[in-house]
Amino acid sequence: MAATTNTLNPDADRAAPSAAQSLPDWLNRIHPAVWLLALFLLFVPAFTNDFIQLQVFGWAFVLGMIALSLMFLAGYGGMVSLVQMTVAGCAGYMYAIFGHSAFMEVSLGWPWWATIPIALIIAVLFGTISGALAVRTEGIYTIMITLAIASAFFYFTRQNYTIFNGFSGFNAVRPPPLFGVDWKQATPFYYLSLFFATLSFLAVLYVSRSSFGLALQGVRDNARRMEALGFNVTAHRIAAYSFAALIAAVAGILLTWLNGQISPGTAGIGPVIDILIIAVVGGLRHPIGPFIGALIYVVLRTFALDALVAVGIAGERFQLLIGLGFLLIVLFSPDGVLGLWSRWRARLRKRRSEL
Amino acid sequence: MASVAERLSAAGTANALELRGVSRLFGALVALDDVTMSVRPGERRAVLGSNGAGKTTLFNAVTGDFPPSSGVIRFFGEDITWFPPHERIRRGLRRTYQISLLFGDLSVLDNVYLACRGVSRGRFSLLRPRRNDALMQSAIELVEAVHLSAVRERLVAQLSYGEQRQLEIALALAGAPRFILFDEPAAGLAPGERAELVEILSSLPRHIGYIIIEHDMDVALRVAESVSMMHNGRILKEGTPAEIESDREVQELYLGGGHG
Amino acid sequence: MRRFLERHPLWSLVILVAVAVLLWLILAPWPPGMVETFGRKKVFLNALFNGITLGALYFLVASGFTLIFGLMRNINLAHGSLYLLGGYIGYEITEWTGSWLASFVIAFVAVAILGIVLQVTIFRWMEGQDLRQTLVTIGVSIVMADIMLWIWGGDFYQILPPDWLVGAVETPLISSISRRTGDPSYLKYPMVRLVIFFAAVVIGVVMWWLLNRTRIGIMIRAGVDDRDMLAASGVRIQLVFVIVFAFGAGLAGLAGVVGGTFQSLAPGEDIRFLLASLVVVIVGGMGSITGAALGALLIGLAEQFGSVYMPTYAVVGTFLIMVAVLAFRPQGLLGRK
Repeated sequence: MAATTNTLNPDADRAAPSAAQSLPDWLNRIHPAVWLLALFLLFVPAFTNDFIQLQVFGWAFVLGMIALSLMFLAGYGGMVSLVQMTVAGCAGYMYAIFGHSAFMEVSLGWPWWATIPIALIIAVLFGTISGALAVRTEGIYTIMITLAIASAFFYFTRQNYTIFNGFSGFNAVRPPPLFGVDWKQATPFYYLSLFFATLSFLAVLYVSRSSFGLALQGVRDNARRMEALGFNVTAHRIAAYSFAALIAAVAGILLTWLNGQISPGTAGIGPVIDILIIAVVGGLRHPIGPFIGALIYVVLRTFALDALVAVGIAGERFQLLIGLGFLLIVLFSPDGVLGLWSRWRARLRKRRSEL
Repeated sequence: MASVAERLSAAGTANALELRGVSRLFGALVALDDVTMSVRPGERRAVLGSNGAGKTTLFNAVTGDFPPSSGVIRFFGEDITWFPPHERIRRGLRRTYQISLLFGDLSVLDNVYLACRGVSRGRFSLLRPRRNDALMQSAIELVEAVHLSAVRERLVAQLSYGEQRQLEIALALAGAPRFILFDEPAAGLAPGERAELVEILSSLPRHIGYIIIEHDMDVALRVAESVSMMHNGRILKEGTPAEIESDREVQELYLGGGHG
Repeated sequence: MRRFLERHPLWSLVILVAVAVLLWLILAPWPPGMVETFGRKKVFLNALFNGITLGALYFLVASGFTLIFGLMRNINLAHGSLYLLGGYIGYEITEWTGSWLASFVIAFVAVAILGIVLQVTIFRWMEGQDLRQTLVTIGVSIVMADIMLWIWGGDFYQILPPDWLVGAVETPLISSISRRTGDPSYLKYPMVRLVIFFAAVVIGVVMWWLLNRTRIGIMIRAGVDDRDMLAASGVRIQLVFVIVFAFGAGLAGLAGVVGGTFQSLAPGEDIRFLLASLVVVIVGGMGSITGAALGALLIGLAEQFGSVYMPTYAVVGTFLIMVAVLAFRPQGLLGRK
């Protein structure tokens, strides 16, 4: 309502310029809860230790970005791609190969301003080519094909020593000391990953409502009709893969900095499936879902072991816990945690209206 | 430049749509059998025939949904036989579907906006559509043209069947269509809605030609200037509505066949 | 056959030449020049036979996978777990009863029952929701993998074949001719692998027969082609689904015993055989039994020849085959659009 009064009566605006009214329209529309969340995330380093900042939040942001790239393809494009973790791994590898690592026989030692763009470009190319192969088939086949590509990459990096240094991969991969900051330290990395996670989240949200995003959702719902409206369906799908690959690639470089290393296991079959689990558990309907899923996953991964031991079960049964939790979610809430949330709210509203 | 000039001059003289020896096989089934047919620019043609006569297969071959097994299809002089569907659409060919293929989760206006976007530049634009840009304006006008302004913001899934059929037509009118294929636009409509459809079709700009598949002879003969009669994947007869109506063979095959 | 010759004369020629070259490579003693460039004939023959037997194993796993997929459009990503479970059960039964053959029967039945449980309790409630079914099978495979790790630990297990299968038989194929004496020496090949190969062929033929000559088989094939038609024809489609799921799962369990006998069982084998089935089915064409046989043979051979002649990139080679098939024939070699 505020927006309409503004346009209808501009004089009132000039006469009494209040802070709320002089803000642009889109700022007014942001829910107060979002402001609270933003404030909370900004001040996390003030009351947490290094471990929480790096291994819980930092890791969750990075995994969330990779899962976000899957959510973009699956949620808006209807294509469940299991190759996103592999794209991230590819970017991490390229950063280590062109830049610095403990294994300088292979690493080329180029400066960061060359290494990062090259790593991103190669990873996006890889993601695009994988997408071009995957979009030749539809629906359920996409999962099989992208899973097969992901495993090919895993086996290739494990067996190739001349470029990928085989089983052990690359150690001591560090972020460049930009602006004199050591980005590997907990607080700087926290803000770095928060920045890129927010950026990619907003980018996905924005693109989903752009002409391209609208067309992509049209393709998801009815590819044949889109073709008959003059859209090149294949090109749209491949472009979606490129966009998703960019997000995954940035996350891949961050992940390599966080771990300080990259090896075949980083993009092994387990992590590839984990990304799918994260995205599905969080919810594929909205870009916030993957980050929720990632946070749940990371918290479970970090603390479930101790919790299991505390109640008298061997800590190794962690995998079982994840599997059962995942099964419960897909069996009872296909829309993930987000779906649970909206269902709960609907029920609450219903009860309130009944009263 | 020469090629553009050639194309333009060819377009000036050529038929809007020309099919030469077009056949389509599904396994052993011959759905289209050596169809040859030409339609002038601006001409309005009805295609009649019983179920399974190959009418929709003909449309699918022309729009590229299922390309023909053999034969040549020209659109304003240009050989489009092997073009992907979206390239044909961008050249000004349009179609509507017998069973509505619409985006149920989008609003009426967004559906039409997508159709306008599909035949304009900037399909990959990362900008958000604005209410006041030119494309949105033309979308609003199209919604108006098919008498749907009242339900412009409603989700398509909530529209009545008749309204969905009207929206189907709006999608075909987006951009600058030169030729439209209407696949049974009147099917399932109430009498009042049929009258509205006839009105929409007759008020189309004169330069837009079309082919209409229609079972309702009343609708078909009122909106068409010429008629092609199909049977078993072949063109059986061509002529004016009056000639076809009085043709004995046609009457036996079609008009007498429970459709009277 | 004749039609193929008439329609594709060039391809016929290529296939004919390839078959002739292959026969010569197998039957004739290799001249010294060949041995220098390609290595000894024995190595080649071994790679060939190992490839075929590995293909037979892949076929056993993948045929169940492709059957389930073809009928129910369900990618059962827990298929590899069913394979591994069948192997462990086979191992326990062989240890307990000492009967290798009994372990086949029991593994088949046990895993088939698990398949029925999965179909009845989970999959029939989410028919037509491909993605959800796929996700559920991922969940099932994670849970199963961890339970199996819990019970059997991370060790390697091998199922011992009975005595009459241990040892090698001499085949009538010449592997080399001694330069000094001129006496030919013949290729020896492990008995158990030959038996497994023939068993796979028999199972394949029986499956073909079941699908093409029996009432239930014809119903299943009709369902693969057109599910709605099957449902409309008044067949109890749920019963057909349960039977197919049980049979496909049982085959995976049986394959587990085979794999446990001539390879070994350990955590991770489930994923390996799941991936192998995926690639085999993508290459051969989804839902096609003959396609699965062709794909399994190709992938088995590629893996074995790869590991002999290009050891570093053996696994990658199989994926390259898959990518090539996808690029030129997305529906698979024998798949239909």
